[in-house]
Amino acid sequence: MEEWKPNPPGKPHKKRSWYLAWKYKLMNQRALRKLCQTGAVLFLLVTVIVNIKLILDTRRAAYEEEEESAQDYDDEMLNVEVPRHPVNNKKVLDVEVYSSRSKVYVAVDGTTVLEDEAREQGRGIHVIVLNQATGHVMAKRVFDTYSPHEDEAMVLFLNMVARGRILIFTIKDEGSFHLKETAKNVLKSLGSQVAPFLSWRDMWTFVGKKGGEVYGEKHAKSPALSTWGDPVLLKTEVHLTSVEDAECHWPDTELNRRRKRFCSKVEGYGSVCSCKDPTPIEFNPDPLKDNKVFDVPVAVIAGNRPNYLYRMLRSLLSAQGVNPQMITVFIDGYYEEPMDVVELFGLSGIQHTPISIKNARVSQHYKASLTATFNLFPDAKFAVVLEEDLDISVDFFSFLSQSIHLLEEDESLYCISAWNDQGYEHTAEDPSLLYRVETMPGLGWVLRKSLYKDELEPKWPTPEKLWDWDMWMRMPEQRKGRECIIPDISRSYHFGIVGLNMNGYFHEAYFKKHKFNTVPNVQLKNVESLRKDNYETEIHRLLGEAEVLDHSKNPCEDSFVPDTEGRIYVMFIRMEQEADFTTWTQLAKCLHIWDLDVRGNHKGLWRLFRKKNHFLVVGVPASPYSSKKPSSVTPIYMEPPAKEEGAVAVPAVAAAEQT
Amino acid sequence: MQKINRNVVLALLSLTSLVFLLFQLCYYKFYLSQKNGAAFSKGRGSQSGQDSTRWHVVRKFLGLISSHNIPVYLIDPLILGLVDKDIEQIRSSPDAPSPECKYFCAPRDFTTFALLDKTWKHDVGLFRTAEKMGFQWLKIINKDPRLDGMDDLSGMEIPLHYIFKLASHAIHLVVFYERSGDFLWHGPLRLKQHMDRKFVPFRKLHFGRYPGAYEKPELLLVSIDDLKVQIPKNPSSFLEEMSYSRFLECRYREARAFFQLYPDDASLEAVEFRKKAKSLLHLAALTLNNLGVKFWLSSGTCLGWYRQCNVIPHSKDVDLGIFIRDYKADIIPAFQKAGLPLKHKFGKVEDSLELSFQGEDDVKLDIFFFYEEDDYIWNGGTQAKSGKKFKYLFPKFTLCWTEFVELKVHVPCETLQYVEANYGPEWKVPVKTWDWKSSPFNVQDNGVWPIDEWDNVIQIY
Repeated sequence: MEEWKPNPPGKPHKKRSWYLAWKYKLMNQRALRKLCQTGAVLFLLVTVIVNIKLILDTRRAAYEEEEESAQDYDDEMLNVEVPRHPVNNKKVLDVEVYSSRSKVYVAVDGTTVLEDEAREQGRGIHVIVLNQATGHVMAKRVFDTYSPHEDEAMVLFLNMVARGRILIFTIKDEGSFHLKETAKNVLKSLGSQVAPFLSWRDMWTFVGKKGGEVYGEKHAKSPALSTWGDPVLLKTEVHLTSVEDAECHWPDTELNRRRKRFCSKVEGYGSVCSCKDPTPIEFNPDPLKDNKVFDVPVAVIAGNRPNYLYRMLRSLLSAQGVNPQMITVFIDGYYEEPMDVVELFGLSGIQHTPISIKNARVSQHYKASLTATFNLFPDAKFAVVLEEDLDISVDFFSFLSQSIHLLEEDESLYCISAWNDQGYEHTAEDPSLLYRVETMPGLGWVLRKSLYKDELEPKWPTPEKLWDWDMWMRMPEQRKGRECIIPDISRSYHFGIVGLNMNGYFHEAYFKKHKFNTVPNVQLKNVESLRKDNYETEIHRLLGEAEVLDHSKNPCEDSFVPDTEGRIYVMFIRMEQEADFTTWTQLAKCLHIWDLDVRGNHKGLWRLFRKKNHFLVVGVPASPYSSKKPSSVTPIYMEPPAKEEGAVAVPAVAAAEQT
Repeated sequence: MQKINRNVVLALLSLTSLVFLLFQLCYYKFYLSQKNGAAFSKGRGSQSGQDSTRWHVVRKFLGLISSHNIPVYLIDPLILGLVDKDIEQIRSSPDAPSPECKYFCAPRDFTTFALLDKTWKHDVGLFRTAEKMGFQWLKIINKDPRLDGMDDLSGMEIPLHYIFKLASHAIHLVVFYERSGDFLWHGPLRLKQHMDRKFVPFRKLHFGRYPGAYEKPELLLVSIDDLKVQIPKNPSSFLEEMSYSRFLECRYREARAFFQLYPDDASLEAVEFRKKAKSLLHLAALTLNNLGVKFWLSSGTCLGWYRQCNVIPHSKDVDLGIFIRDYKADIIPAFQKAGLPLKHKFGKVEDSLELSFQGEDDVKLDIFFFYEEDDYIWNGGTQAKSGKKFKYLFPKFTLCWTEFVELKVHVPCETLQYVEANYGPEWKVPVKTWDWKSSPFNVQDNGVWPIDEWDNVIQIY
């Protein structure tokens, strides 16, 4: 006790009382004892206060210290890294797979990675690919092998999966009806004993390593045609390998690092993850001479279709004159896999919390993406807008570089688009030819910043209005009579089939036969003639040179156009007023071009090619070009077929669907 | 027996608390001594001239970045200050070898460089090379403010600062971004929790306490101390700019909350008014900037920025503030030349000056002149028909940059006090009927103009 020399005030008193307490206890004197107790309590209080003060002081000092070494204020402090490899150190995975008529699920180490009990959905074989070292889900697919051709897609997919990956299969409802021999053999080669004998409404689960061992298989036969096999539940264990074994040994470069990160996370991208001969992820296309769009930002609008995005970005990055630094991919939602694709190519990506539903959601996503693009590139006067389901032509940027000055100088232009709605294999011919059209095709287009900032952005449809952004942009209130420039042969190709607005038939009928330019460095012809007044001169010249076709023949017949090449022909159809497209629609239908709404017109004139001849269609008398009609010619009128009630709605709906 | 126990307990408690108290004291003492010690040793370290270390580190760094084709420029205020004194000589003989190490040898902890984000490709190779050369580096990333104003976009975080450390010297590389409004922006330096707070004495950094806004500088390639570096062409104006570069981001989150409560007016009139107000503001900013007159968003326009990051559609005019000391007689002709006729002029330069210009279609530009007193700032108002004077009081404030409708403009840094002074604590609630004589929270009667002065102080066109 001698060492408490630098005593705080209360202490000497305390020492005495402590000593006295014993003394008084011995003497048993009440008053003194009381006094001593009070003293002790007082002292306790004092020490408590001093202690609290000390604690506060030290804390404040510590805080100041931190302030001093760093201004460490940060409003989103919680940057705690969540470990993303929960099963990293484990050697064995418990896998549970369930197959039944109405429900399938897969659980890995107690975590459900697949659960599908929705009605009328998810029929067929569900496939899950796990990383053999980490146990992460790398791909999830369902192949409706009850329907034709789906088994081929499955074979394609399984062939793309790298050796050593863990594959999990389970059937929901029915998966054998269109499961052909080839597919069964592939399953057999994976080690399945049951696959070759899978039949109608059997239930089946299988877990195996590609090119390796089988971890388990269970099967329940359907007893009769009208009933399903009993549900099966397979529980098995999978032994994990080391990370090194699961990876390829590519040379250590920055590119391969990106590749490695990508390939350890996802599957189903084919040769990009091939160990022996991986496909490049950097393309270095030839730069463009005098590239006027090098500094134009490119916004890629994406949803959750990572395979599409992958294909799209490959073609975009291979286009001559591309500047990857200007590309931003906007992903509608917090999807990981599209982001992985973006990172694979070393691009920047932005995720967008979905607002609203369906078409309005797409529309809000567009708005956010466009606003963000002009925020990120405040110097830009234009932005190129692309979608994830487009192939980009090799001369896409060359096309824009040659034409973009028009958009800057000609106030009567609304956009430049890479897509010609009427440019099918049999109706487009000249890669160097451009048109002016009153409709906005979208599908790869250039937007002027002033148009967006001054006109579109302030009145963009709000989330509660369930409008399509592109239909809204086509409305006269927005377009205000301005036109878009399009090429005869499209510089983009719409390959998307599974989208919000698409179905297989629709795509087959309207998009598959679209012409797509593959010639590099096309020199555009006579760009100046696309200016407002020059274009009229040009049209008059064309009409002056054009030969009038024989209007007594049926325009749908091939013989309507003579078997020549390189000539200009004109035909006249009936078009009572500006909005009368009755005959045009019938003509478009029989020519097998876009007929769901009116596209590609310029003042009642359509331009396309037939049998390699330029083919002009003039609507009489609504078009100002009607005066070119010789008086002897009677404009052709084609009657719309008598429609059933329901059919009327189809074009209207479908028209809304082309984006 | 019980009583004895109580005593014992009390005694024991006292004893433990005593011990604890001592422990605390010791700890506190120890702590203090450690802290001071550290500070002292650091101070000494930097004084004992490590002359050439700095020069060598800077040279190595410049080698590193030029090998990766990254265009950086020097913005170190201390060196630029020195350079500015000799600027004529440096400009006239850019390649002259220097006899002594004049600029890069003063012992400092840091040398600061700037990098324009869009001029480099985020090449990871840079850092690998840096490591090979012996640099330790630290990257400070944060949210991209250019996406902050947008609903629910989450981009990748962007690098705001890099620090390259070699031996006892560090290079602070500030990353500048282009923003809407044709200016450059750099972010604040904030350390995340897992970061090494002792990596360098962050507090001594010249950049990063606040975000900053700068004009795009013209650069000049010079050779100083035998090192080729780019510097701002006019170092003194850069240094001047630096002293008032603080940038305030709009309060986007609060603005979003505001719009949840009071949905935005999306009517055609509102859209049209906003468009006009925006172009009027752009025109006014251009005119005043050309004259070199410093101005800020005031009244309703300031409230719009602060509350909803946009023009208030029912406000019907654009309000700017200017300190009376910055008043220039050319202001009126300049605006007239820009196509904005004077609508009225109230007051005089010595008292309650206020100008009003007629913009396109009834949108009015009001310019209030502010008078500074010892402990407050005020501007005046005049009622035309009665000659009554009003006075609007504000607490003192300084000016910050912000981005508003694609424009780099000033706002009071102490915006909340400014807005509250003007609109009271209920400023968050939109008010559609507003009387400038009675509605403002800070209005005071200020007498009446003498009749004989009316012709001068009340001019209506």
